[in-house]
Amino acid sequence: MRIEAIGCEPLQLRRVHLENSRSLDVYRRNGGYEAVKKVLDGMSPDDVINEVKKSALRGRGGAGFPTGMKWGFVPKDSPKPKYVVCNADESEPGTFKDRYLMERDPHLLIEGMLIAAYALSAKTNYIYTRGEYRYLIDIMDLALDEARAAGLLGNRILGSDFSCEIYTHTGAGAYICGEETALLSSLEGLRGHPRMKPPFPAVSGLYASPTVVNNVETLTAVPDIIKMGGEAYQKLGTEKSGGTKLWSVSGHVVHPGVYELPMGYDDMEKFIFEDCGGMLDGKQLKAVIPGGSSVYIMRADQIVGKDVRMDYEGLVAAGSSVGSGGFIVMDETVDIFESTKNLTEFYKHESCGWCTPCREGTDWLVKVFKRIDSGDGRPEDAQLMLDLCDNIEGKSFCPLGDAASWPIQSAIKRFPEDFRRRLAKNGDGIS
Amino acid sequence: MATELVKLTVNGKLFEVPKGARLIDVCREKGFDIPSFCYYADLALQASCRMCLVRIEKMPKLQTSCTITVADGMVVTTQSEEIEKAQRGMTEFLLANHPLDCPVCDRGGECELQEMTFDWGGLEERFTEQKNYYAERYLSPMVANDPQRCILCKRCTRVCDEWMGEEAIEAGGRGAHTVIGTYLGWLDCSQCGNCIEVCPTGTLLDATYRHQTRPWELAQTVSTCNYCSDGCQMSIGSRSGEVRRVVARDRYVNGINGEFLCVKGRFGHPFINHEDRIRTPMIRYKKGGKLIPATWDEAIRHVAERLDAVAEEHGRNAIGIAGSPRLTNESLFVLRKFATELVGTENYTTTDVHSLQPFFENLGAPLATHRDIRYAKTIVLIGGDPGEWQPLTGKQIRQAVRNGGAQLILVNPVPIRLREQTALFLHVRPGTEEAVVLALADPAYDSLAADKAGIAAEQLGAARQMITSTDGDVVVMFDAGLSAEAQTVIAQLSTVFGGEGRRVLMHPLPLFNNSIGAHDMGLMDRGLTAYDLLEKAGGEVRAMYLAGGFLPEHLRERPDALSKLDFLVVQELFENETTAFADVVLPAASYAEIDGTFTNNDGLVQRVRQSIPPLHQSKADWMIVAQLAKELGLEFGYELSASAVFRDVAKNVAAYSGMTYPLLKDESNPVQAKHQLSAATNFGTTVSALHERVDSMDATGEKITVTPDVGDGLFRLGMLTEKVPQFRLLASGNPRPETTAVSPLYQIGRSVAAGQSTTAD
Amino acid sequence: MSSQPTQITRIGPLSQPVSLGVEPATFSSMVEAEIDSHLAKYPVARSAILPLMFIVQRERGYLDPAGVLYLANRLKVRVTDIWEVATFYSMIHTSPIGKYHIQVCRTLSCKIRGAGQVTEYCSNKLGIKVGETTADGRFTLSEVECLGSCGTAPMLQINFDYHENLTPEKIDQVLNALP
Ligand SMILES: Cc1cc2nc3c(=O)[nH]c(=O)nc-3n(C[C@H](O)[C@H](O)[C@H](O)COP(=O)(O)O)c2cc1C
Ligand code: SF4
Ligand code: FES
Repeated sequence: MRIEAIGCEPLQLRRVHLENSRSLDVYRRNGGYEAVKKVLDGMSPDDVINEVKKSALRGRGGAGFPTGMKWGFVPKDSPKPKYVVCNADESEPGTFKDRYLMERDPHLLIEGMLIAAYALSAKTNYIYTRGEYRYLIDIMDLALDEARAAGLLGNRILGSDFSCEIYTHTGAGAYICGEETALLSSLEGLRGHPRMKPPFPAVSGLYASPTVVNNVETLTAVPDIIKMGGEAYQKLGTEKSGGTKLWSVSGHVVHPGVYELPMGYDDMEKFIFEDCGGMLDGKQLKAVIPGGSSVYIMRADQIVGKDVRMDYEGLVAAGSSVGSGGFIVMDETVDIFESTKNLTEFYKHESCGWCTPCREGTDWLVKVFKRIDSGDGRPEDAQLMLDLCDNIEGKSFCPLGDAASWPIQSAIKRFPEDFRRRLAKNGDGIS
Repeated sequence: MATELVKLTVNGKLFEVPKGARLIDVCREKGFDIPSFCYYADLALQASCRMCLVRIEKMPKLQTSCTITVADGMVVTTQSEEIEKAQRGMTEFLLANHPLDCPVCDRGGECELQEMTFDWGGLEERFTEQKNYYAERYLSPMVANDPQRCILCKRCTRVCDEWMGEEAIEAGGRGAHTVIGTYLGWLDCSQCGNCIEVCPTGTLLDATYRHQTRPWELAQTVSTCNYCSDGCQMSIGSRSGEVRRVVARDRYVNGINGEFLCVKGRFGHPFINHEDRIRTPMIRYKKGGKLIPATWDEAIRHVAERLDAVAEEHGRNAIGIAGSPRLTNESLFVLRKFATELVGTENYTTTDVHSLQPFFENLGAPLATHRDIRYAKTIVLIGGDPGEWQPLTGKQIRQAVRNGGAQLILVNPVPIRLREQTALFLHVRPGTEEAVVLALADPAYDSLAADKAGIAAEQLGAARQMITSTDGDVVVMFDAGLSAEAQTVIAQLSTVFGGEGRRVLMHPLPLFNNSIGAHDMGLMDRGLTAYDLLEKAGGEVRAMYLAGGFLPEHLRERPDALSKLDFLVVQELFENETTAFADVVLPAASYAEIDGTFTNNDGLVQRVRQSIPPLHQSKADWMIVAQLAKELGLEFGYELSASAVFRDVAKNVAAYSGMTYPLLKDESNPVQAKHQLSAATNFGTTVSALHERVDSMDATGEKITVTPDVGDGLFRLGMLTEKVPQFRLLASGNPRPETTAVSPLYQIGRSVAAGQSTTAD
Repeated sequence: MSSQPTQITRIGPLSQPVSLGVEPATFSSMVEAEIDSHLAKYPVARSAILPLMFIVQRERGYLDPAGVLYLANRLKVRVTDIWEVATFYSMIHTSPIGKYHIQVCRTLSCKIRGAGQVTEYCSNKLGIKVGETTADGRFTLSEVECLGSCGTAPMLQINFDYHENLTPEKIDQVLNALP
């Protein structure tokens, strides 16, 4: 598996190949904690937020919400404590970049969180890591201890007036806990159900206090933004999508891995066929899910010869989205009916059960998929599935319902032949 | 302050509605029906059923109207093809895994899912897959559970959390495998059954009524509960002269308690048709002999002759008369009339445990209704444990704090469960609540009170500060067992705490459904208590006429009193410790068999309605007394109608003047008795009297640190609940049976747990 | 648990009148210290519920009634509160499970790189079907959802250890090396 930058200098991946990259020592010798120093040496919290706004950094957790704006929503005058929570729940199928950031460069995350905590005056902060990533929690705990011993955490950090703590917290196997409000419920020791928005976490989040939830990749971008300035960071990418983005590549390519690309990298075809080493065993490209399981699936002919630009706007124009950057490449051997069934089973398993459409809809859809799979497909099934998706999409309590319908809707639309084959001999109901 | 109005357009019509209102409520009020399952006013928002979708201009997607607060200029559509498709879609989803066997479901005919399908479904069934299956089971002797029928609206878990503070039932599992239940499948709670009441489908069911009747075969009679002094409104379901079940008033129109009832109100009714009910009048012709059935004529004649004889020989005061605080106002009124106008005795009282006479004599502020409690800003609870003894009050306090942000000041020697809701807990030594009352009345006594109660004097200052800085209502509640001196001071606390923008309201906590009515009907106006009356037995008092026997605690204190009487007549439902000494026993009708009124601790006068004909040969208590009066030569002129008695009540009891049955008809609009208020004339003397009491208090008692278990009061068996097998199971610790697949009662049988102590129900 | 939790004062372990028929579990002072260190992270004890569940599970094999009772007392919640949380999370086990929990990722990226064969291989090798535990209680075989190893598929996790880029030989190696 490869971890490297393409089309730009490695930024977030700068240290990952250094020996002992996890240690505070190596981190410091390679520019670590300079951003925190810069911040404590003379930037006000507002200055920090402004730099982040200028950087055009958009949340890397999947929703792509402008990070600076999110930080700006936290009420300054609230008497309640404030919290920064790092979303390290990384459970979107096809996504594994946060894992390597934490595994190889834990201090980068700590530094990013420190800066965020400073900008938001948060004293207590948590890193919510999915329970399966136990080894990463151990790595983070060691790094946190190191930082604490070096006066980078705790009281009066680096001799300044700023004090703050960061703790790790473990999830226990629930994809929905990646959704920020469900994550907060889980962090409070409850079932991981999403909560109503508004109030947004920025106003009433953890323990009903102002809270910012950011993805690992988002937070680890912050030190460089501070060091190089927001504008310079933005210029690495495009006007609306600043900086660089990590893509987790999996599936039928020769070199799966984590790739750092500048936002607006201009050719998805080149990315697959050159940067990732091309298709495995010389097979034909059939489909790509470019942004984690929840986004629209793309046909090869939407990519090949189409100069698909890899950033938020470019992928929407190409008929999908960036999502979490989980880039799943599928060759001709993959049956899209089966791949869609596989993902629908995932969503059924992970639906939290709170709301009717997602809970019952995913259960029903899986049952239809299984029936078709066992040879009892009916011509009207495709239409039924589309209608069920329509009854879920836009009606569920949180976006998981949408995320469950989009793969099906796009797959039936873009790969009708794979469904047609499974339905009935006489007609298929797919238009 | 007038509420601000905003402009709202619904389906093209313009309305002005209060700012901050909830869209779903506003639309419904304006006549636009919006379907919903999970929405329940006054519970935390859930927004999970997704039925209540509407289209709001300028918003992406359909919106759940249950979560939207109206804003000025909002333009809403509640009916369109798109919305109807979505709502059908949701119903279809809910029905997908739901068994479609309504004919065998206990909720059939009362099921909101059934109704919704009828109204909004119009479905062809597209779900042809295998349904998820979960076996039926029992969660307790009271609650049966059919998990398959659950639509996960979580009303049950929310009422359990928010109303009861018990958090006993929760959702477990995830996704399509979410089920409502408990750890190890056994329900460990007060068994109020409110989860059953609010369940829109047949998922949580009344295990005591299961498979007995179809709901539409029941005659539903609205009445008032006969257990505690909260006076919940209920609907008694009866068929062929038998009470089959009790539910809260109605699923949509409600009395003071909405859909709330406690375990006794909901499940305590089987005493009514119990086989041990006294069937005929009985006479014991010879002391020590047996009670022998007699006709009504014989019995009445016998009683009349004997009472005449006692009066002749020993004077009128030799006849003692007492009425139970469980009886209707009508019966108690007639009894007192009998005592004063016919017998002419001074020895009459009610068989309550406590007397509120001192409180009412000095009442300086109006009584708080349960609604007032829900919206109060500060609640001072002195002694008592309403969670166990006045559960509706307990629920209102909890909601006032949790949903209304009220502050609760608790003065109690025991960290009762309501402690979880307190802003300030004055944890006093046993028996020293009154020291705090003294300090509340006058800060000069702070250090004395703090010393006696074993608390910090600052806490008393803090309590006063919280009360006097309240903007809104302050409700003062107190245990009816407090001394006369303390009651007198409490009754006048409004003089200390009243102020601009702050109302002080009173809420006494007596034990019985008609403790207040018994006071109002004048049975306590001689200042005599049941204990005093027993004390006189064999001395001044030679004969007693009782409508309802003495309580076990009375007899425990004066064990041989009844044996000293020459003659004892008791009107009762069951043979008990009192009838054991009776010379004549007359079968009384229970509250379910008669008409009348009870007055609750809000002072609300509420109707009791006949649900079934009187059982066997029993009669309403007032009717028996009136018949006896007639035999003795005085015709009361009631002609067998409770309403005629009540007219007499309204004429004679000032607080009830102007009341008639038609006025009391609508339980959602209850009528409060007008108890006379008197301004404090000699507050100083009153306080000094209490000071004396407090001064002599023992200041060495150890504080109680253990919180009583849920059910500590509720599960104590009384004469009525003891007749209910399920209550015996609860009283013996609600043991989990071998299997929860079969009704616990069948498994354990009625042999379990011979009753424990018998106190007030 | 309500949708929008309200903070309420807990007066101590809520009364649990129904006996579970067991005494609460006890732990060594080292484990107690570990538990304390988790509790110290949060302003509200209940927040530590998942970390503590993992510890109970590690010490007792699964979340047994004695462990549940311990947690209820320690976190001042009811046993049903423990149950509702425990059953929500797929990594918490309320029934006994093998010493080694073999969790094969079944989600898309692994699936198209041979997850099916991995499961089948393990199943044959151990002689159990997915969801079963070997008679000696050593192995439980499960299929789980995406574990973040998509780039190193196919993969499986044994307890907390990742094993990636699997081939039959590698599976043999891994399983044979288990103590
Ligand atoms: C069903 C669902 C799952 C999600 N999972 C993750 C996740 O695993 N990791 C993550 O960072 N964000 C996840 N998100 C996005 C978060 O809700 C949230 O937007 C994000 O943590 C915000 O951080 P960002 O602004 O830095 O992206 C998920 C969202 C949804 C709806
Ligand atoms: S869409 Fe509904 S059921 Fe699905 S995860 Fe979100 S809240 Fe839970
Ligand atoms: S009533 Fe609005 S979502 Fe259920």
